[in-house]
Amino acid sequence: MGSVARKKLLSIMALCAMVGLLLLPIVMALPSPAIGEEAPAVEGEQKEGEKVEKGRDVYYKTEGVVVGAPAPKTVDGPADYPRYNFESRVLIWFANQQHLYYGSFVLAVPIFCMVIEFMGVVTKDKALAKKYDKLAYDFIKISLTAYSLTAVLGGILIFTFLTLYPTFFSYLSGIFRPVMHIYALMFVAESGTLYIYYYGWDKMKEGFLKWIHLSMSVVLNIIGTLLMFLANSWIGFMMSPAGVDEQGRFLGNIWHVIHTALWNPLNLHRILGNMAFGGGVVAAYAAYKFLASRTDEDRAHYDWMGYIAMSLGVAFLIPLPFAGYWLMREVYAYRQQMGITLMGGLLAWLFIIQATMIGILFLSTNYYLWQAMGRMRGAEKYQRYIKYLVFLLACGFMVFITPHTMVMTPAELKAMGGQQHPVLGNYGVMSAKNGGINVIITTTVLSFVWYMRGNKVSTVSWAKFGNIFMGVFFACAYINIIWLAIYGYYIPANVRVGLSVPQVATTLSCLFFMFALNSVMMKGAKQMGPIEWGKISARSQYALIMLATAFTWMMGLMGYIRSSVRLFWHVNEIMRDNSPWAYTHTVGFAANMISANVLFFWISILFVFWLGSLTAKKAPVEEKVGVSGAVPQPAGGH
Amino acid sequence: MSALNNPVIAVIVSLIIAVGYFTMVDHMLMDMQGLDYWYLFRE
Repeated sequence: MGSVARKKLLSIMALCAMVGLLLLPIVMALPSPAIGEEAPAVEGEQKEGEKVEKGRDVYYKTEGVVVGAPAPKTVDGPADYPRYNFESRVLIWFANQQHLYYGSFVLAVPIFCMVIEFMGVVTKDKALAKKYDKLAYDFIKISLTAYSLTAVLGGILIFTFLTLYPTFFSYLSGIFRPVMHIYALMFVAESGTLYIYYYGWDKMKEGFLKWIHLSMSVVLNIIGTLLMFLANSWIGFMMSPAGVDEQGRFLGNIWHVIHTALWNPLNLHRILGNMAFGGGVVAAYAAYKFLASRTDEDRAHYDWMGYIAMSLGVAFLIPLPFAGYWLMREVYAYRQQMGITLMGGLLAWLFIIQATMIGILFLSTNYYLWQAMGRMRGAEKYQRYIKYLVFLLACGFMVFITPHTMVMTPAELKAMGGQQHPVLGNYGVMSAKNGGINVIITTTVLSFVWYMRGNKVSTVSWAKFGNIFMGVFFACAYINIIWLAIYGYYIPANVRVGLSVPQVATTLSCLFFMFALNSVMMKGAKQMGPIEWGKISARSQYALIMLATAFTWMMGLMGYIRSSVRLFWHVNEIMRDNSPWAYTHTVGFAANMISANVLFFWISILFVFWLGSLTAKKAPVEEKVGVSGAVPQPAGGH
Repeated sequence: MSALNNPVIAVIVSLIIAVGYFTMVDHMLMDMQGLDYWYLFRE
């Protein structure tokens, strides 16, 4: 057998093994979801003597045979809440957050890697294909070290749960017993796939083998996504339990426990959030490498890498607020009080901070794009209009962050004549905020369209009409968004709530139609000059770092909000938290805690970047040995 | 197509398309939620 044929056979076997690993936990789960199998046996045993005890599902309202113990009633003491001389909740918060940061990163980056590798495989331009391939390799290289750290942090998290919240963790693992085993097996499958995928890169770089390699990345990402969905089922259960009766006793249907009211919205929100976060972190990595680069060649490569990562991140950031709306809508549908606690009660001020962070994300993205136009000849024509975009963004941002009511002293309250400011108070309602965020997102879409056509002049015969149509369409979109926001003030709340849907549709229309129209118009367009990668201001790179930091901070904030909404419950309305820390922290404490988490994450990820750079430093030495006198190319092999 | 390249005609045609489209979007999407987009005007 020839060497190529042997390689093919081995790679196909590896791929089959990966698919097998992917299916193994599912196959294992098929005969019985562990506890579910026990149900008939229990029923049979009980037939002779006792009556079969049945319970009613708290969410699905179906009846089922009770097969689990009730949720424990904990008391504050060493049995249920052993502790150090420190707040246990802070420790679990820290462990959880760090694991989540790294988990998100290592789930998102392989997805980018898959997309970029695919682009490299299908592109006809060989030089560009090589560039894409190197970029995908750079991406996976970063995530590999982070992957080990994720596993370590996962271990720390479990030990923290076991040592500080043993009773709660015992109850949760009792309910999720089969899921946790499947999760562990999937993790093994993910590790194996990732290592084969990474180390097989050079061996499977061409032809059929490359397709096999690409298929491995698909398997890798399916496993990663399933892992995340399983982990989401735990938090979904804690927020909106199902599959148990009112005492918290498991009723034998594991699917009910997994598929809670908030599971799907959480899945969508998290997958988009992880992607946006991953894009931000890789963009920050590229920015850091760009700023540290000593050659034009390196600067060009990292500038390009930063742009691609930022674009991918923002592509997922744009639909993220809409997924957030869906999640909130489901929260309200599940428990209205929970929604009110989030948006209008105890945690409402945290949403103002969230709005500020979202605004910062979009401002940074726009700023980066305007700076990036500097590296292409012909984009100067848009520079004079940027001030209008700044105006739109600033207005949208200010409306978006205006609180409904202010925290004031009695004297300030008296001076203002009430809790709401006579003018600014009008902007504190959802009608205005929906308008604000949609204006911000539409402006970002416009900035992207300008960037995409920066150095090009359309040559289609209807170019003039196309340009005018785009201008009019955007203008009408802004008018429609603002009109709907104002209209909301004059109609009852039950009608007003529906206006957010056409507002979102307006923004998405701009995104899809204008991107499509622009692509058609720019097909075969005259180029004013090439994009001069690397010739971009250092300020733009700081914008990327800002973007990544804002993502990190916002993720910490939203995680805290989502977790805090359970208030004094471990599992909402099922298992009460009787530890001394079952209260909601002040906004200031929470903000400090989030900042500490962000700081730790960035310090540790810098360490990961540094480790990655050690491998990069080693590579050229090896190359020099092999190819004496060869000129290093930015898009060369690895 | 040459008539559409006349700026005045292009603006008028674009306005008709865009205004018509967004009005349709507003009406349809409110209707799909069982809500009346024209509520204020009917009152």
